[in-house]
Amino acid sequence: MSAPTLPRHGPDPSPEPAQPAALLAAPHGTVERRDALKLMGASFALAALGGCDEAPEHGHPLHAPARASDNAASAEYATILELDGLARGVLVRTRGGHAVKVEGNPRHPASLGATDIFAEAAVLSLHDPHRSRSIRRGGRPVPPAALEAALASLRSEVTARAGQGLRILTGPVSSPTLAWAISEVLAEFPGARWHQHDPLADDAALEGAMRAFGQPVATVPDMARARAVLCLGADPLGGMAGHLRHARDWASARAAGRPPRLIVAESAPSLSGARADHRIPLHPAGMEPFARAVAAALGAAPPTGDETHPDAPGAASALLAAGPDAVVLAGRGASAAVHALAHAMNARLGSTACRQLPHPLTRPEPMAASLADLAAGMRAGEVSHLLILGANPAYDAPAALGFEAALRRLPFSLHLGFRQDETARLCTWHVPLPHPLEAWGDSRAFDGTPAIRQPATASLSDQARCEVELLAAVRGTPVTARAAVEATWRAAWTGQDFDARWAGALEGGVAGEAPAPLSLPLREDWDRPSPSPPAGLAAVFAPDPGTRGGAEAHEAWLQEMPRPLTKITWGNAALMAPSTLAALGLQPGDEVELELDGRRLLAPCWPLPGHAPDCVTLPLGGGRRAGGPVGERRGFDAYALRPADGAWHAPGLALRPTGRRAPPVTTDSHHRVDAAEALRSVPPGGALPQPGRDASLHRDWPYPGHAWGMAIDLDACIGCNACAVACQAENNVPVVGPLAVSQGREMHWLRVDRYHHGAEENPAASFQPVPCMHCEQAPCEPVCPVNATLHDHEGLNVMVHARCIGTRTCSNNCPYKVRRFNWSDHRRLLDTPARNPEVSLRPRGVMEKCTYCTHRISSARSNAANEGRALRDGEVETACQRACPTRAITFGDINDPDSAVSRAKDSGRHYAMLGQLGTRPRTTYLARVAEDEA
Amino acid sequence: MAQIFSARADTRLRLAVIIGLAIAVLAGAAGFAHVRSGAAWAIGRPAPQPIPFSHAVHAGGLELDCRFCHSGVERRADAGMPSAGTCLGCHDRVWNVTAQFVPLRAALARGTAVEWASVSRLPDHVRFDHAAHTVAGVGCESCHGKVEEMPRTVRAETLSMGFCLDCHRDPGSRQVTAASAMRPHGLQARRHLHYGVEVSPLTRCSTCHR
Repeated sequence: MSAPTLPRHGPDPSPEPAQPAALLAAPHGTVERRDALKLMGASFALAALGGCDEAPEHGHPLHAPARASDNAASAEYATILELDGLARGVLVRTRGGHAVKVEGNPRHPASLGATDIFAEAAVLSLHDPHRSRSIRRGGRPVPPAALEAALASLRSEVTARAGQGLRILTGPVSSPTLAWAISEVLAEFPGARWHQHDPLADDAALEGAMRAFGQPVATVPDMARARAVLCLGADPLGGMAGHLRHARDWASARAAGRPPRLIVAESAPSLSGARADHRIPLHPAGMEPFARAVAAALGAAPPTGDETHPDAPGAASALLAAGPDAVVLAGRGASAAVHALAHAMNARLGSTACRQLPHPLTRPEPMAASLADLAAGMRAGEVSHLLILGANPAYDAPAALGFEAALRRLPFSLHLGFRQDETARLCTWHVPLPHPLEAWGDSRAFDGTPAIRQPATASLSDQARCEVELLAAVRGTPVTARAAVEATWRAAWTGQDFDARWAGALEGGVAGEAPAPLSLPLREDWDRPSPSPPAGLAAVFAPDPGTRGGAEAHEAWLQEMPRPLTKITWGNAALMAPSTLAALGLQPGDEVELELDGRRLLAPCWPLPGHAPDCVTLPLGGGRRAGGPVGERRGFDAYALRPADGAWHAPGLALRPTGRRAPPVTTDSHHRVDAAEALRSVPPGGALPQPGRDASLHRDWPYPGHAWGMAIDLDACIGCNACAVACQAENNVPVVGPLAVSQGREMHWLRVDRYHHGAEENPAASFQPVPCMHCEQAPCEPVCPVNATLHDHEGLNVMVHARCIGTRTCSNNCPYKVRRFNWSDHRRLLDTPARNPEVSLRPRGVMEKCTYCTHRISSARSNAANEGRALRDGEVETACQRACPTRAITFGDINDPDSAVSRAKDSGRHYAMLGQLGTRPRTTYLARVAEDEA
Repeated sequence: MAQIFSARADTRLRLAVIIGLAIAVLAGAAGFAHVRSGAAWAIGRPAPQPIPFSHAVHAGGLELDCRFCHSGVERRADAGMPSAGTCLGCHDRVWNVTAQFVPLRAALARGTAVEWASVSRLPDHVRFDHAAHTVAGVGCESCHGKVEEMPRTVRAETLSMGFCLDCHRDPGSRQVTAASAMRPHGLQARRHLHYGVEVSPLTRCSTCHR
């Protein structure tokens, strides 16, 4: 084994942590607090709900349901949330009729019980005071009757022309009911046309499938089966459809001792790239030659010339060694030719680790072309009436397409959307869309599994209409969304007991089986090489990991959550390789002007180790211009630079420093722990020396009942942040705003540290979630002057907020830096129906930290005691554990030798972070298994 | 040079200091007495309820079981409040002419919640589990007082932390049914000694606080 490369933190380029200029003007955070209040208000405040009046001076309301029902006080609903039009199953926990927490649905194939950060944030957007609530014409609220009249006149005008001039624009549609509603409109108005728009769509994948198989299929990998996975720009652990499922399968295969060898070729590091066994940084122009070289080595494509990528033979031999258990995945940003090459390689390998499934979208089509077609029609004056249902093209269409200007000229444009966003401002009509947690609907998962979306809470906006309801109103045959969904499934389940099937689908959260995989032969003419793009500085567009192309930009939790690899919060930056940054003579945080085909954009630049040289990644989703104060003007809007055809990369980028500084807010330098001591790794099958117990003159505290402990498997952690957002949602953790974050005052109880190992050009990355360690010899406890932090009978290090006087000595003395101080009073803004009533709110001036979800322990203990039985292992699940897609977090009773956590702690990979300090932490880690790359 | 202070200035100063101190002590004592008294904890003060409900009639006169309306008291953390359907289930037949039930009928018609006002609500940072207490043999009246004698429901005890701890330190004194005193999985069973000092899980912070 070669000398181990010590893990280290990310770049800390400036001696001083990067701080926005405003910090200097307000050293004590006066501006910051006002800012934070505004942001918090935007995130949490809730307009008065019907039936929830001001609490009387004495006596607090106890909401009894109108009818006797056993679980009315707290209930869980199985429903779905969509990401890029595809469903993930969730369970929504409600208290007193309010949705307070989203958790994964174990029965749904796209969740398996896990969530991602976007699903967790759904309760926040549900209660967002800046969501749209009223029907508007020209920006002014009008009564619903005016909309009915407008739709009636639309109907008569369009009917006269047999539908000519009517266009419908939606996001990607996988919902059978919405597809039915659209088809009804198209049948009634034959001249009407339906377009789809998704800024994050992978049109090349569709084209690649057409070339390879002649039909639009979706390629779904089986990460549990695969022994070798070559990702050509694909991110199965992060950005790919079905990522929760793939991450779970990948982690289970690793845990079972048959780790799939993950080879990732990509330009900008992704979560999959960070956890790859072999990562190949590739300039976008180098992707197709690389794929072709691997394909040639596999015999799937004609041999290329003598120039071949040095990594290609290695990748090919790894695939060949795995044989039918190998799979090649092409992702966003890869050209259609690369997708076709991937299909050809899978065919050549006889891969059984991937399935070709009927596409889950109702009408898979190249979305960029569909939108461009619409824009051309609008410019040519062929469009008189445009219905935009749940899309926001005025923001997320490429600016080069000129959609905004075309939309402005339309005589009738109607926007159905959740917020008054950029598109709503340009449309003549705006109709509020209900939140997915409020409305009936249905959708399909990445593998085609259908599920029904049922409302978990009463609608907070009485004027909101679903897409289906609006389309029915256009036809003049009003229907409720529920009736439409029922009708769809009544038709689908003919010959079966509908009521039983319906009840089962609502209870289980799954409405049927995934379609059977297709067995398709490779077409003869699949290989159509693309012209090789010019070399030189290229722009690479990528969805921002926090704001996801802008659709999630108004979620304060997501804005403040440090992005997994860059640790940037509240904005974005032009990311490039450190060597590119140095070659351009730039310092991290310098503002640059980017120019592409005459379009210009100002952006701060930031180094990202492992980024391919000579290209710049521009995260999509910043710089929102409307929709609410949380997302507006956070970072830059990369759509301004994107080519009109929605390409994922473009050559010919020019970059000029402006001489100004605009450093993004990053938490990379916060809460640093000596990396060499925090993180351990072992070779496959290896074990760490297990130190004995420290000698002590004092007798140990006895824990005769339960002794709670946690083990976090660093080999499974993919750094997706789901645990951290779940913790924030569960524990009412406040959002503090960019200025306070830049001062190191973020409040996250659980942070995910990111370390890079190895050379800056292509490092491996490790993630380490760090909650409170609940040390048995806690350094925070003896230094508290008022005994506000102490141990309980089950070994929890508890924090008594009422006793705390805010000396912050405990935080100073904490070697793990997991204690957070309330610099402001966040209670007023947190005290809304969105909060978790099980967790108290903390006043200003007190410390807070991870409690091991002590409220969950208490309620599980009460339930067990009331039933007269002992607690079962696995009965207490912390919020972070529940959310984790890879089940990296195990929690339980370490007194029970058979509990999952005890078994994890018996592993040879077990170690305590900074264990040599003798703190005896209850939260411990399992070392990462790292192959020694010779 | 004339004297600035008279001969009695010292005496006056001393008197003022003594009186000042006495006032401060008295104010402190009065404040202490006030927060210890029932008035500060809203004992005996009724809360405005959607309908003028009388426990004296239902629990006292009719001898209805508490669990008839508060059905979760033995199974859940919250005891549960009666739904409009529960009330009107009887009152459709008896005493059904009164206009007092309008809020309940409205709730039933609209499917909205009935907003009862709690007189015994604990602060935010306390987690109280009704089932854990009833199963351990603590009677309703230990905390809620003689509800069956209350025409208008009022708080009977301070429900302060001291009130809770009095019982948690010596649970046997309030347990109505002795059989449930030491259940195998209850927290009481987990008392243990450390350096000869008894540690009771019932008095640890995290047992009640969240």
